Amino acid sequence: MSRQRVIIDADPGLDDAAAILMALASPEIDVLGVSIVAGNVPLQDTVANACKIVGVSGRTDVPVFAGAAGPLVREQVFGKYAKIGAFSDDLVARGDIAPSEENAVRFIVRSAREAAEAGEPITICAIGPMTNLALALIQHPDVARGIRQIVSMGGAFTALGHRTPWAEFNVLADPHAAEIVYRSGVPIVMMPLDMTFQALFTAEHFKSFGARGGAAGDALYNLFSTFDRSDVARFGRPGGPIHDATTIAWLIRPELFTSRKATVGTQVTGLTMGYTYADFYQKMDRTPNATVVTDVDEVGFINLLIERISLYGSTVPGPKTPGG
Amino acid sequence: MTPIPIIVDCDPGIDDTIALLTAFVSPELDIIGITPVCGNQPLERTVRNALQVCELGRRTDIPVYAGCFRPMLREPIYGQFHGKTGLGNTVLPEPVKTVEPRSAVDFLIDTLTAAATLQKRITICCLGPMTNLAVALRMNPQVAEGIERIVMMGGAYREPGNRTMTAEFNVLADPHAAHIVFSSGIPIVALALDATHQVMLKPEHVAEFSNVSGRISQTLAELMAFWDRNDVRRYGSRGGPLHDPLVIAYLLAPHLFTTERARVFVEHESELCMGQTIADWYGKSGLEPNADIVTKVDAEGIIAFFLDRLSRYAEKAVA
Repeated sequence: MSRQRVIIDADPGLDDAAAILMALASPEIDVLGVSIVAGNVPLQDTVANACKIVGVSGRTDVPVFAGAAGPLVREQVFGKYAKIGAFSDDLVARGDIAPSEENAVRFIVRSAREAAEAGEPITICAIGPMTNLALALIQHPDVARGIRQIVSMGGAFTALGHRTPWAEFNVLADPHAAEIVYRSGVPIVMMPLDMTFQALFTAEHFKSFGARGGAAGDALYNLFSTFDRSDVARFGRPGGPIHDATTIAWLIRPELFTSRKATVGTQVTGLTMGYTYADFYQKMDRTPNATVVTDVDEVGFINLLIERISLYGSTVPGPKTPGG
Repeated sequence: MTPIPIIVDCDPGIDDTIALLTAFVSPELDIIGITPVCGNQPLERTVRNALQVCELGRRTDIPVYAGCFRPMLREPIYGQFHGKTGLGNTVLPEPVKTVEPRSAVDFLIDTLTAAATLQKRITICCLGPMTNLAVALRMNPQVAEGIERIVMMGGAYREPGNRTMTAEFNVLADPHAAHIVFSSGIPIVALALDATHQVMLKPEHVAEFSNVSGRISQTLAELMAFWDRNDVRRYGSRGGPLHDPLVIAYLLAPHLFTTERARVFVEHESELCMGQTIADWYGKSGLEPNADIVTKVDAEGIIAFFLDRLSRYAEKAVA
């Protein structure tokens, strides 16, 4: 099978770090670039963090691009763990990656248009606010044509929100961008909190990253040890989700997930700004725009992430042949 | 005197065309690019019209960059008074000039960030929905520092809307973009319907323009004749409001205009009032003014100004 060509649009962020490292270790995926947006932390910090994460992966061939410094219309909000800011050298060893000169949005436009021209559309994993993607989609119709699917971590349905009572952070941080993406005509694969809350990582799992994953595993161990992400009152047991990594797992092992087709959208204004809806029962009489992933095989997903991070301990991943 | 560097962001459009033709023969202006956007017509058509107008005005030296193909969030709406092609019934020759490979957004970012670095700021003339500029500002906030000011046609303050009860077309077509631009801190001169409805291009003017404008006279007369709204109840006379050309007139003859400073807000949430522009005339918002809104225009002076400018096409034909 040919490798899936993927752009990761991210706002690192702890979960983003796990997702990026997972993708860069996975031979099924050809990461064309990492495009960065402000989100969990301000842009200069998300860019610095992405450069460090790519650096610690050893995949210095993968370019990092800086994109939008804030949301399209609403005022800026940062993540719950924003105080981590830029990853310190104690957490993630300094790498030697510098961001590309090219703007992330321009990179997405260029890559998608080339993909449309070649008839080989690419996949985008959107694991932050979708500002960069929205800005790209507005510019030329070939951008949408060049994107096979957008695998988006975002939204919440019956799980309710984790940032406001109704809203998941990535959508809340730029609901206008999310709505532009949902309406773009590009097939959406949506990873909502309803599903990401089902796979809870505990301290034992983080130790496995550290014990088996080399420098990259150490970095993940350090990052996830900075905050206790468990919420027993909410999840009924200890452990915390690694939301963003589900997008990469879905590309590699879709059989770990269950999904349904639905029309999805979000509220862009008012008290329920960032609230996402899904029309699971075809009440809107519209062709579904999304595959909503509803369930995950928890053990399968956790083991897959640990397995991929462990590849950083067994070999030094090199360009084009990650994991040996 | 050094000419004023400008970029004309537009959606031609009959009135855009008159604005461009005027700018073309104004040596006080250095037009460094034209950036058509989806607006009065779909992008493909506004680009084509811009290329044709450059050829008509014999200014094929000015690069044309294609802008965004749709508004940010809303579905495209198109203009109602520009005919099927955007140029009324006027048929211009198939353009030989081609659009630049670089997109309008990339051109704006490259040019305006360079202008910021060189401290040689550029004036942006916005004659259409402001999608291109909003996208450029969100992609790279440094763009704002390269802009001397924005002179824009759009909005309606004390005057009701022209596309809905409360909204003027350019703002309604992309209210989110307008909100982004008005929130950017860039100095803005706003030519809203309050100003443009003061300058009616009447049938008797059309004859005058036709008489003076030399080699473009037939095309200009056709375009202007098509522009007649034939709505005396609304406009007080026959003819059509000279919306977009006032942007160029403001740059070259500011003494013909009176402005008032105010904070401008753009409604982008309420469906009923979508695209309404609200001016804080009496300091109720507690926020600093962000725009100079044109409240009065010397209509006779404006018509004389355009007659003078467009008569240069006759002189050029002789030369």
